[in-house]
Amino acid sequence: MSPVTSNQQPGESVACKRCLYKTDHPLGLILDEEGICSGCRIHEEKDRLDWQARWKKLESLVAPYRVASGKTYDCIVPVTGANDSYYIVHLVKERLGLNPLLVTYNKYFNTPLGIRNLANLRIQFNCDILIQNVNPSSVKAITRTTLREFGSIYWPCLAGQTVFPVQTAVRYKIPLIIWGAHQGVEQVGMYSHEHEVEMTRRYRKDHDLMGREADDLLSIFDTLSEDDIWQYRYPDDATLDAVGVRGIYLGNYVRWDPKAQHEAMVEKHQYKGARFARTFDTYDHVDCYNFMDLHDHLKMLKHGYSKVTDHACREIRHGRLTSAQAKSLVQQHEHQPLQHVDKFCEWLGVEQRSLEFILNQHRNPNIWKPMGPGQWERTVLPSEECCNVATVKQEIGFTAHANLDNGEQDRYIIIGKGYPT
Amino acid sequence: MLKKRLIGVVTVRQGWAVQSFGYRRYLPLGKPEVVVENLDRWGADEILISCIDRSETGQGPDFKLLERIAALGLSTPVIYAGGVRNGADAVQAVNLGADRIQVDAMLWDLPAELELLSRELGNQALIAHLPVSIRDGALYWRNYRNGEECLLDHAALSRMYLEWVSEVMLTDWVHEGTPGAFDEAIPKLFPLEEKPLLLFGGLSASAQLQRVLSLNNVVAAGVGNFLHYKEHAIQQIKRNLVGVPMRAAHYASEER
Amino acid sequence: MTRRTIGIVDYGVGNHASVLRAFQSLGYRCRVSRDPSVLAECDVLVLPGVGAYPTAMSALTACELVGFLQERARGGQPIIGLCLGMQLLADVSHEHGVTAGLGLIPGEVVPLTTVPWHIGWNTIEVVNGDDLLAPSDQQSVYFNHSYVFRAPEEYQVCVSRLDRSFTVGVRRGKVVGLQFHPEKSQSVGRVMLRNLVEGLTRA
Repeated sequence: MSPVTSNQQPGESVACKRCLYKTDHPLGLILDEEGICSGCRIHEEKDRLDWQARWKKLESLVAPYRVASGKTYDCIVPVTGANDSYYIVHLVKERLGLNPLLVTYNKYFNTPLGIRNLANLRIQFNCDILIQNVNPSSVKAITRTTLREFGSIYWPCLAGQTVFPVQTAVRYKIPLIIWGAHQGVEQVGMYSHEHEVEMTRRYRKDHDLMGREADDLLSIFDTLSEDDIWQYRYPDDATLDAVGVRGIYLGNYVRWDPKAQHEAMVEKHQYKGARFARTFDTYDHVDCYNFMDLHDHLKMLKHGYSKVTDHACREIRHGRLTSAQAKSLVQQHEHQPLQHVDKFCEWLGVEQRSLEFILNQHRNPNIWKPMGPGQWERTVLPSEECCNVATVKQEIGFTAHANLDNGEQDRYIIIGKGYPT
Repeated sequence: MLKKRLIGVVTVRQGWAVQSFGYRRYLPLGKPEVVVENLDRWGADEILISCIDRSETGQGPDFKLLERIAALGLSTPVIYAGGVRNGADAVQAVNLGADRIQVDAMLWDLPAELELLSRELGNQALIAHLPVSIRDGALYWRNYRNGEECLLDHAALSRMYLEWVSEVMLTDWVHEGTPGAFDEAIPKLFPLEEKPLLLFGGLSASAQLQRVLSLNNVVAAGVGNFLHYKEHAIQQIKRNLVGVPMRAAHYASEER
Repeated sequence: MTRRTIGIVDYGVGNHASVLRAFQSLGYRCRVSRDPSVLAECDVLVLPGVGAYPTAMSALTACELVGFLQERARGGQPIIGLCLGMQLLADVSHEHGVTAGLGLIPGEVVPLTTVPWHIGWNTIEVVNGDDLLAPSDQQSVYFNHSYVFRAPEEYQVCVSRLDRSFTVGVRRGKVVGLQFHPEKSQSVGRVMLRNLVEGLTRA
């Protein structure tokens, strides 16, 4: 039973004239009179706003949070072994000169490369880091429920990543949390950069958690107990207000360009990327065995597109890919076979066939037509594009430096082991 | 004593909660139910759910949306607007959980119907919505469906059967979504001085809200887009509204 | 200790989700029903109401609940009337002609005089030392009405005021009526409902 995402009738989804997104985007996407989408329009601000002035705004914003005594941290920075974490810490520590406490949520699906990147992050920037581990029994119980009920294997990861920094802010009384980019702004133009949107519980529930907070899982599905979910609860309003918790996004003050940013971090701080089968981007998500694998497949089943489309739209908007080139890349990557399902099945304790069965139950009927036992066809097929994919990839130049297993054993790293300095 | 009200306005278009700018541009926000639930927790004095594309497309009220929202079991009064064509629509909306009904297109198409709505629901449950702008020092009333404009004088008002509604909402549609841009001359130019007014459209700053809420004939102010940029937006506004008789800001704490 | 049961009278008028959620969030078990046998088993009955008086009374009559409610009140079962539901407790209403009410608390429902309607959040004053509502004295609750219950002084427990004061809460024994919407008055309303239920069900 999928959540109601809109009153739109099936078949009404319209594509943007510039990028590859359609109006059935799960975050919401609106086309203007010229057929250009809200995401593309907001992206235009990146070339129009005075980023120097915006940087000065950021400096004024964080100034009151500097702790003069140096006895505690100025702010909290949520990090992972991927996803612009290096650049974020670089901005916070090296450019703003703040003293951050890094926090990370252990999602279980950790690749050796991701753990290496995280360890290296801590060392390169000389930061303290807090890691939250929720017990495996609870995480697996929740994952089984969310997978079965609404086709998500990532709910505990998203819930943990978005709440642990807030809980830490409360517990340590460090009010300022600094995030990188706001996904709604970057993908669908949910806000203008000038709105300077901050972290809200509303966005987390609606978009990160697919409409279900921890207590909703408890009340709707009887397979979970309070013991399983309490760690994912958001602090209440009174508590947040007492501490003055506030989450800001650097992407509102800095011209956000993940490709350029990662490349700078590769050079300056030895961040390492890796190749994926299902996308051409080599920098995002190297910390997880499932995000570009099983989770990506579920996205395709439920929404009719996958992460490579997000990467492609981003690069179109940055002027590094034409629409035709982007479509070729998407076509080449989006149906590449999964490589790490066996690890997931072993971890969760399910048979691959049972998993297949559950996955098929979550195919969006507006997008997938059953053709026979175990056979489905997409009802709206992408148009055939004919660019030489190898040439395109060479031109755009995403580089890789390691494999996900980083030359070690190819398995989840549940608790990170120490790395030599 | 009776307080002034801060209304959380939720604009809904094609089933999505959206930010709306000048009745022209929109940015997506998400599911209306999640937005409404959030405003309820924040302690808005009323929540206005405004479905802006129902009359245009001849669809009638979004009853399915109302059902989903009522199922949340909100503890905040809800005003429903969008596609209410007649008494039956209004009564059904109330039976599905709306506390009050707002009409706009009906004022152009069938204002006499208001008497029927009043018989069923009472004047207190009815609000007339007028998108307005100022030209040559006078108020002009806009038909948002076709852009037609009409001088908002006593003659025009008398054709609206406003004796059957309790309150009138004036929206500065031009400045909707522009921070602090609400034209404060609007409530002063409204010809019916006895009619309680709700104001909306570009109201974001506490100082400005304070000024308009201090006017005798203004009983409420609506805020829309600006409630989505920060956590606890309603509470922040209330905290900064000094001297206005209004319910205090409330920060919910765990009931466990 | 057993959980109290709240019986919400469903007579086909209005929406019960907010009332239901309010009581459930307080930990009470709730039944939404028009079945007399179900309602009779509950610790407290709640009579909600919205819209026009004659329509509501017709609906109650059609559901054969008029006699039932009168009998339960006589037998001492606690009943809480909310908004129009409070007005239904009266002898008669003058909205759209004259309509007989349930007659559980003496009084008539008449139009507000100097102002045509009462909308928004207003403070209530608890009068006659009512112990159940005393903790809510001076709190703000949400009103949305144009008629008032004119009750004899001995049955008034709550007033509110615009230019002058008028009754917004009535009580006679275990029958209570509130003109405002505690279920739409956020935390203040929930506290009041809890005090009422606990107070009315105390032995």
